[in-house]
Amino acid sequence: MWRRLLAIAVIGTAVYGLTGIGAEKLVVYTYSSFASWGAAPYIEEAFEQDRQVDVEFVATGDARMMLAKLIAEQEAGKPGADVFIGVEAGDLSTALDHDVFVPLTEDDIPNLASVRQDLLIDVTNSLIPYEHSYIALVYDSEVLAVEDLPRTFEALLEPTYENMIILEDPRTSSVGLAFLLWTIHQYGDPEYLEYWRKLLPNVLTVTSGWSEAYDLFLAGEAPIVVSFSTDTAYSVIEEGSNRYKILLPNSQAYRSVYFMGIVEGTQQLQLTKEFLNFVLSPQVQERIPSTEWMFPANRETLLPVLFYQNAVFPPDPVMVAPEEVGKNLDRWLREWSRIVVGG
Amino acid sequence: MVQDSSGWLKTNRAGRIALICLPLVFLALIFYYPLLRLFQEGVVEEGRLTFRYIQEVFAEPYFRHVILFTAEQALLSTLLAITIGLPWAYIFTRYGFPFKDTLRSLTIVPFVLPSITVAVGFILFFGNNGHLNRLLMSLFGLEGPPLRLLYSLKGIVLAHAFYNAPIITRMVHAKWERLDPAYEESAQTLGAGRVRRFIGVTLPMLLPSVMTGAALAFIFCFLSFPIVLALGGARFSTLEVEIYTQFIVLYQHKTGAALAIIEIVLSLLFTYGYIRLEGRFTQELEAAPIRPTIPLLRRRLTLGKGTVWLFVAASGVLFLGPMVSIIVDSFTREWAGRTVLTLHWYSYIFQPQHEALIGAAPLRSVLNSFQVGLAAMGVASLVGLPIAFVIARYRFRGRRGFDTLVMASLGISSVALGAALLAAFLRPPLQLSSGLVAIVLAHSILAYPFVIRAVVPALESLDRRVVEAARSLGATRLQAFRDIELPLIRRGLLVGAVFAFAISLGEMSATIMLARPELKTMPVVVNDLRAARSFGGASAMSCLLILVTGGAFIIIERFGERLFGGERWSR
Repeated sequence: MWRRLLAIAVIGTAVYGLTGIGAEKLVVYTYSSFASWGAAPYIEEAFEQDRQVDVEFVATGDARMMLAKLIAEQEAGKPGADVFIGVEAGDLSTALDHDVFVPLTEDDIPNLASVRQDLLIDVTNSLIPYEHSYIALVYDSEVLAVEDLPRTFEALLEPTYENMIILEDPRTSSVGLAFLLWTIHQYGDPEYLEYWRKLLPNVLTVTSGWSEAYDLFLAGEAPIVVSFSTDTAYSVIEEGSNRYKILLPNSQAYRSVYFMGIVEGTQQLQLTKEFLNFVLSPQVQERIPSTEWMFPANRETLLPVLFYQNAVFPPDPVMVAPEEVGKNLDRWLREWSRIVVGG
Repeated sequence: MVQDSSGWLKTNRAGRIALICLPLVFLALIFYYPLLRLFQEGVVEEGRLTFRYIQEVFAEPYFRHVILFTAEQALLSTLLAITIGLPWAYIFTRYGFPFKDTLRSLTIVPFVLPSITVAVGFILFFGNNGHLNRLLMSLFGLEGPPLRLLYSLKGIVLAHAFYNAPIITRMVHAKWERLDPAYEESAQTLGAGRVRRFIGVTLPMLLPSVMTGAALAFIFCFLSFPIVLALGGARFSTLEVEIYTQFIVLYQHKTGAALAIIEIVLSLLFTYGYIRLEGRFTQELEAAPIRPTIPLLRRRLTLGKGTVWLFVAASGVLFLGPMVSIIVDSFTREWAGRTVLTLHWYSYIFQPQHEALIGAAPLRSVLNSFQVGLAAMGVASLVGLPIAFVIARYRFRGRRGFDTLVMASLGISSVALGAALLAAFLRPPLQLSSGLVAIVLAHSILAYPFVIRAVVPALESLDRRVVEAARSLGATRLQAFRDIELPLIRRGLLVGAVFAFAISLGEMSATIMLARPELKTMPVVVNDLRAARSFGGASAMSCLLILVTGGAFIIIERFGERLFGGERWSR
């Protein structure tokens, strides 16, 4: 019986393996939320149309995990991806220092001309912005009444919020990193560590990725999650509910810009350029608000009315300069681990 | 060097040497060479020996905390496992009830049930918004979840207790039911009450088996990976999780290797301690007749029986809740605010289309799992059989050394083993063309000791005169083995092979270190879906895993109960 089973398994695998051969393959590394409920499905379908190409998204973790994977593969001389989508501003210097992305010009990517100037942080254009948002707290208004909200960073430390906050791990998640940088911006180095030490009793859990954190939040595991200021638009438009609302501690938000790039060593340079240009095209950018729930990078894109009305555009966003992050990131993450995991 | 002490086997010398050396050579290649590469990674830099990375680990407060936490959670888990396991041993020994044999044989389940499925079941059942909390909230009209177990040490300890209490029960019960009641009876005639009798007489006699069981549970919890990864979140990291994080998430191979070396040294020490403990206590086993039992169901309900029922109900919730949750969630789906029955998740796990959350098609992982399982079953049997033969048949100088070399793999954690194979076979000079082979090797190394355990008793119980008779009729040793011994140990070999298959199918820890997306097996995909909180798919695939490993369990129970009963059971 075993022999027959083995034969079936072998034949099955062989037949299955053969079916994939045909079109050219374009492998895109990205983070899990981009692939599962973000823009990926639309981009894949639309880009494959009229082209002999098979776009394959790989998203086995959050942004920072995927970037580490990409860099490690590059260093081992075995690049697995042609395009990478999802380098957050906090990782800009790490990504650029490792020389894993191909520098580009407007000739390569014509749509670059329409990108908001303030997003073009990387002068070499090895990494190109495609969306941006603001890190904020999202809360469940059915659990927390308006008068009970923690309106400042200090208020978040109060014992009433015990086990009420879900955070992301800055070692693996770009959202987690942005929040860590925000606390550093707010309290300074090394005082931010004291803040984290006091924050811990109120943290329910620290997840490895944003998807997991937000799903935990939606499942009602805790009423506050670190997420994006654009998330209210999602609950209003998609779920017809304004149950989940935005909270800006100290009336601030942390600026978060997402970049994409062509992986050095790709065999399909022309196709990858086309792909990046496509992501910046109005056709895709128009869908960024309603799939990614972020602001598009293309300044000529019109925002859907409901999105415009509900996404919070904080007046005074903050950000730690990428060079500053590049110099200190390793140390900050180490110190953070000692407090949060070792504390 | 090789001498036949019994003299009844006239084997040719070269054959015997080959039988002893072949498995050793093979293990040297697939197990000791990878370990060497892992050590090289951790302590050699640019051709020079350096303890820099090991020192860095000990100098970093974060890693010191991880090491201490690993021991702390293992200790607490063991204590809770004893607290749950010991009363069950008592119930099994004292009472008779329907389905007792079935229930007792279920205590072997933790050895075959993939622990990632347990983790998924725990999240679904014990989560703040899980089935249990929702039930309690609607029953008592509560606002918030009354049980906050997950995302803390509590959740990890409870899941470990789920896994290890049955081991304690199994080991203690085997001893208890054969304990001579005469001692307790004389204590009773001397006026000792029930509690005094238990503490003063019974417990000291049971202590060896409690200790052995506890030591085994401690090692399992110390090296547990999927449960801590899934239930701990980023704030609760053990050595296993940290090694995985360093290698697979942060790509810090040097630090990862240093941590793995530290863990291997610790786990080998623990395993050595366990074997010494086991060796010291097994001689004491008395062969008293099995104790009579009291029917639990008939006659009137006493206070004692009431307590027993309460305890049975509470453990029922602990053990069945997570499993039922998986089954329920695999067949249901939220649809327009309502929960509806669906087969959607099953069609999802069998879909041949690429799924980004996994990086491959879900169907691919199902095929991979069976392919790897069958191959690992074959390799483990081929490695285990000759070793079992040597252990059962040969006495020679250096035999202890042989035993140690072939059993050392029991003391290595799966994640560390994965890291070692990664260092050895996924890069030159011995780079394998297919990563799938490395996964098969990892599973074979984890599984062959089970083949040995199943086959050795079968070989030992075989009447040696049968072989002698065959030889005197002119059969060669090989012919005698093939025609006489092999058919007679068939059942043992079948049990060992099925065990190997089940272990391979449920294995996640070593696989996750080696598997590129297209090589992922089912447990790794369950973990991916768990991390993405796609619980429908994770539940459906868990059900499939439970179904297949459950089938394996039935085969093992039917053919191998005598082989795997009682004290001499270790992993």
